[in-house]
Amino acid sequence: MFSSKALNCLFMAVFAAIAAASSSAQTLEIPSTTSAINSATPLSQRVVHYEIETKYDPKSHSLDATEVLTYHNLTGQPLDTFPFHLYLNAFQPTATWIKETNRDGTRDEMLESWDPKNYGSEEIKRFEVTGQGDLTSQLQFIQEDGNKDDKTVVQARLPHAIPPGGYVQFKIVFHDQFPETLERTGWKRDFLLAGQWFPKVGVWWHGAWNCHQFHGATEFFADFGVYDVKITVPQNEVVGASGIEVSNLSNPDGTKTIAYHGDDIHDFAWTASPHYKVFEDTFQSSIGPVKLNIMMQPARVWQEERHARILKQTMDRFDRWYGPYPYKTLTLVDPEPGSAAEGMEYPTFITGGTMWNMPKGLYIPEIVIEHEFGHQYWYGMVATNEFEDAWMDEGINSYTEVKVLDSILGPRTSTLNMYGATLSDLQTQYFGYARVADLDPMAQNGWEYFDYDSYGGITYGKTACVLITLENLLGEETMRQAMHTYFMRYRFTHPTKEDFLKTIEEASGKNLRRYFNQAVYGTQVMDYEVLKAKSTPVEWYKDDLKEKKGETEYNTDVVIHRKTDFVMPVDVAIVFDNGETVRERWDDNGNNRWVRFAYTKKAKVVSVEVDPDHKIQIDRNNFNNSKLVEGDGKAARKVTNYWTFVSQLLAQILTWWMV
Amino acid sequence: MNKKSILSGGASIVGRNKRYVVWFWLMNLALATIGSEAFSLRAHHILDQSLYSDRLVHGMDLGVFGEMLGRPEFGPLRGAALPSMMLALLFFVLTMIFLPGVLQGYASDHRISRGEFWRACGVNVWRFLRLTILSMIVIAIVAGVFSAIGNALGKAADATSNERLPFFVQLGWLAAMFLAMTIVRIWFDLAETDAVLSDQPAVRKSLRYAVHHTRHNLVRLLGSYVLIALVGAAVVAGGVVLWNLIVPPASVLGAYIIAQAIAFFFLATRFWQRAVAVSFYKSNALEDIVEFAPMIVAAAPVAADPAQL
Repeated sequence: MFSSKALNCLFMAVFAAIAAASSSAQTLEIPSTTSAINSATPLSQRVVHYEIETKYDPKSHSLDATEVLTYHNLTGQPLDTFPFHLYLNAFQPTATWIKETNRDGTRDEMLESWDPKNYGSEEIKRFEVTGQGDLTSQLQFIQEDGNKDDKTVVQARLPHAIPPGGYVQFKIVFHDQFPETLERTGWKRDFLLAGQWFPKVGVWWHGAWNCHQFHGATEFFADFGVYDVKITVPQNEVVGASGIEVSNLSNPDGTKTIAYHGDDIHDFAWTASPHYKVFEDTFQSSIGPVKLNIMMQPARVWQEERHARILKQTMDRFDRWYGPYPYKTLTLVDPEPGSAAEGMEYPTFITGGTMWNMPKGLYIPEIVIEHEFGHQYWYGMVATNEFEDAWMDEGINSYTEVKVLDSILGPRTSTLNMYGATLSDLQTQYFGYARVADLDPMAQNGWEYFDYDSYGGITYGKTACVLITLENLLGEETMRQAMHTYFMRYRFTHPTKEDFLKTIEEASGKNLRRYFNQAVYGTQVMDYEVLKAKSTPVEWYKDDLKEKKGETEYNTDVVIHRKTDFVMPVDVAIVFDNGETVRERWDDNGNNRWVRFAYTKKAKVVSVEVDPDHKIQIDRNNFNNSKLVEGDGKAARKVTNYWTFVSQLLAQILTWWMV
Repeated sequence: MNKKSILSGGASIVGRNKRYVVWFWLMNLALATIGSEAFSLRAHHILDQSLYSDRLVHGMDLGVFGEMLGRPEFGPLRGAALPSMMLALLFFVLTMIFLPGVLQGYASDHRISRGEFWRACGVNVWRFLRLTILSMIVIAIVAGVFSAIGNALGKAADATSNERLPFFVQLGWLAAMFLAMTIVRIWFDLAETDAVLSDQPAVRKSLRYAVHHTRHNLVRLLGSYVLIALVGAAVVAGGVVLWNLIVPPASVLGAYIIAQAIAFFFLATRFWQRAVAVSFYKSNALEDIVEFAPMIVAAAPVAADPAQL
């Protein structure tokens, strides 16, 4: 067992030694190492260098650490204030994250009661700036929502500003108390997933610090740089982390210290558990080998191959379609059952999500692994602002998820394919969107959504459907080229929504503003319907009219109705009973709510369909997009048969036990 | 009488009286069809004129099915589910009313008349109502106690990192609960059989009789009941697998036939259990008669027919 007093003394000594060493070194710089990437030169404009040494105590689920952060001021102006995220302070009953989660729910929790085990904290014991002294007492928590109890952002004001191009070094001693996992980070039984666990400086973005409080429905944003992290844990722990492992040393006190190094990453996460079974594999990317570490729970070892297969298939698609994965490692963690740490992404480190008895035809592990790997591109390398533009990470990632999974598992079966029942990934995205279609726009701060359902439905679901629709309109190759250009051009930068949208316009050569204004910036909802499809004999007034197929002439009247406010050109297919199909296009810039198509033919209308090529995936009601003049009750009879059968069995089971 | 003979005796009774299973299956089907009408109307309204519904015909696209359920014009799911639930309850009530006639028929060596059937039903309505209420109370208590203990065990097992343990603890506990509820069911099945066959107006006496015989023949009866229940589960599971294998997705008629075959044979397994109870009751009554009947000694051999010599 670790004594916290002794640990503090130890860390103070280490801290003093580091400080002395640092002050003796006159010049500060960010290392230009490339040992963790398949590149001879750095890939990002490195702003930060984190050197962290930590010792974890599994019994108290806490750690003590020293952090030396070297920051390169590339903002072009002097900086005298520096905000830091202290994310673990979110797990306190009066913190904004907990309040919002209690109010709106979040991805894993509704949080209707408070359990003290869920308490987490990130306490700065000492905060010193090289050459400017100890500023611990001057630190101030700042809040943008007025909640004075929220301690997820702390700000340091320096006595002397750091000039443009200059460096500053922060030396921070801190103590973390991990929560039992409510979401993403913390412990469960003897498992730990340490995410967002160290004081992390905000991002200077568009002329100001961007360092938001931790909200119930927001994620993260940070600058690129180099990470050197040493983790000390008991010998029996199996550890995985971001970056590459550079050393693993046993200590005389029954612990071991593992050192990791990461290049061109903007966060660092790690996990420890005595139970992991680790498997190693390799993916050969277009620029070099990637070592895969797959850390499985003992009961799920039989799924290791399944995990490795989908991971490599996904990496292959991303490599070919969007660009190379430049890191030398990827760690895939199968987290502790019930830990709420499933399905999360950190640079070169992702968590999956499965159960020991996961059926083969239910592709939840595949979806989670694909999705989290996709984040390596959109969150990890492109690194958009997840606080303010969540759709640019989660949504673009959901779009590529649909594309990749469709190509691997089939477009109709990419979520479920069991006993004749099917479900596609796109449909699950659509469900998420359709329920909340008129609540919030995509382009909105993450914490301003109506609730978590709306946040999830819009940022994930709507974005995927909007981009799939766009792809169907522009062509798969054009969209793939746009995504490739976007990734290669903006990786290791922090692009804005307009950077993304303009890249698509550039690749397609089209002005897509009308679409973007409605789909991305607006809350317009699309619902086209076939309002009327009717054929009447031209000589309807004759008493002795005898209709004869192929001979009788009909006036056919077709009316398409735009029920809601999303305006888009739509194609219409009208099928006649002589086998003829007429295609029309309705594009009147929204001047009218309906359009009439009239024909006189020796044939009657059989069916009318709006968007016959099924390009549009954002129509709120897919059933009214078509009309069969002579209805067909087969589908209804089929599902009613299922319903009847289930009703019969339920009645029998009730009777079985009760009488 | 051994377990095999109870089982085969029960099967033989069901085989001789197939009409009861057929009638109850028809009743089950008719009520479920009526109960499904609300669902059917909504489904037809949304699907019939849409080309989109084709994805439900040539496959079972859960996305399209989910969209249908989510449409405002479909209304709340409970609006469609409530009639089905009410008619499931009606099936339960009608079973309770008609069951005495079935038991009378099962116990009889000849095909009973309609009059005998309805008489048995009429005479036993009040007795079966009381027995059913009592059985519901006992089943609720047993299920409640087992669920509570099961949840507690599940939580305790959840403290370990062994992911399989909570699952198998829950599964084991469910099996234990199933056995306990089956014992209760045997008890009440015997009580119901006694109430009908001995024309016993005092329900408590039938219950006392049943608890006595259940206790003394537990292994034999429980074994038979569990075996039949497993057959029932196999009928449903095997039927669904067969459905998936041989019925083309677009064949509504094929799906309907196999669904009804599953429903029929599943229902038959419960009738088999009841027939086992009757078979047991009859053999037990015979043993009681043999046990208590006065010894009769033939004074002299009956004169043989000289022609047969």
